[in-house]
Amino acid sequence: MMVKFDYLKPRTEKELTTLLAKHADEAKLMAGGTDLLVLMRDKILKPRYVIDIKGIPELRKLEYSEQHGLRIGAAVTLNEILASKIVHEKFTALWEAAGALADVTIRNRATLAGNICNASPASDTAPALLVLGADVELKSERGERKIPILAFFRGVKKTALERGEFVRAILVPNPPSGAKGGYLKWGRTKGEDLAVVGVAAQVTNSGKPTVRIALSSVAPTPILVPEAQKAFEGGGSAGEKIEKAAAAVVGKICPISDVRCCKEYRSHMAGVLTRRILKQLTGAS
Amino acid sequence: MSKHKIALKVNGQRYEVEVEANKTLLRLLRDDLEMTGTKCACERGDCGLCTVLLDGVPTKSCMVLAVEVDGHEVTTVEGISGEELNAVQKAFIKHGAVQCGFCTPAFIVAATALLKRNPRPTEGEVKEAIGGILCRCTGYRQIIDAILDASKSA
Repeated sequence: MMVKFDYLKPRTEKELTTLLAKHADEAKLMAGGTDLLVLMRDKILKPRYVIDIKGIPELRKLEYSEQHGLRIGAAVTLNEILASKIVHEKFTALWEAAGALADVTIRNRATLAGNICNASPASDTAPALLVLGADVELKSERGERKIPILAFFRGVKKTALERGEFVRAILVPNPPSGAKGGYLKWGRTKGEDLAVVGVAAQVTNSGKPTVRIALSSVAPTPILVPEAQKAFEGGGSAGEKIEKAAAAVVGKICPISDVRCCKEYRSHMAGVLTRRILKQLTGAS
Repeated sequence: MSKHKIALKVNGQRYEVEVEANKTLLRLLRDDLEMTGTKCACERGDCGLCTVLLDGVPTKSCMVLAVEVDGHEVTTVEGISGEELNAVQKAFIKHGAVQCGFCTPAFIVAATALLKRNPRPTEGEVKEAIGGILCRCTGYRQIIDAILDASKSA
């Protein structure tokens, strides 16, 4: 049986910030609810108030502009993101990551904002947002602020959200022209499971080559590996650069052993997946 | 705990009920409305046996609070066809796509929604659409064959 709580459904952001200012310590926000309901059923979370944000129209919008890029409201579901042609074409790492999360039925409810607020080290969408250099827009009664996604994750299940604050939107800037991105998830099954390792990458070949790689399930938070960029700045063949990047990834991560696999396997697969995705995106053999 | 008066349509019929905040749609359907076609198993979003259509979209009813469904429309396996069995149900019988039968309502609901949206799915699209539903008897081959067959006869 699920814990007992009061259900609140604000209709405006103003109502939401007022509720949060009043009940912040005793409230949990609900978007899709696909993590929250499980945690309340297991009595890991026992909020006195559950505040449903789906009644706020502004939070349900997914918008794109050539100037600012993508803006994904906190209540936008993963399937809404997957249905967006522009996300598929321009923000491929995010599109592939959204499609790798859980299963199609869960994705009808689950949201991108919920996935990052849950702050699981195994988040599928976080590595994609890291390589895309996304920002998180936060709001409270005190005002608004914007922080890079890199600064949002503070530890296992810990975020930079302060008391009374909520995630309003996730902002994803346009990738450089010609950029190619992707996400590879390694799991125990082809169906729904958390990742053993997840790797997102974005590569730009035109002009100065840029390589961004981020991973999930290999550290207390999803992590970006800036050292991979350096591997591509020196000389050597494409294959050698990819090897250097994979070594940088394996050197940077600090996986643990858990119910899914041992840490040695995670380290090994992080290298394998890094090589695989970089070969895919750079066209190297 | 807060209580909420909600109005919803289930299988075309309108209901007005009072629900406690922590009641899931699954529990409302089974315990209050006594529609036990929708099965309850893991109650944590993993197995998919409680799949219903929420405004036509396959949804795990254990992952939705009843209060969230106020003003919305739910279709369960009880309302998935008319007097006669639908094409998916007939194909399940033809292909022996039922073993213990516990997962069958969920597969029927999800497959019917798939064929409505996409009348000629590929095998990959069928697998994607039922990816969130587990069959403990592991009879997936017959289930996939039945859905593909139903798509040809629809």
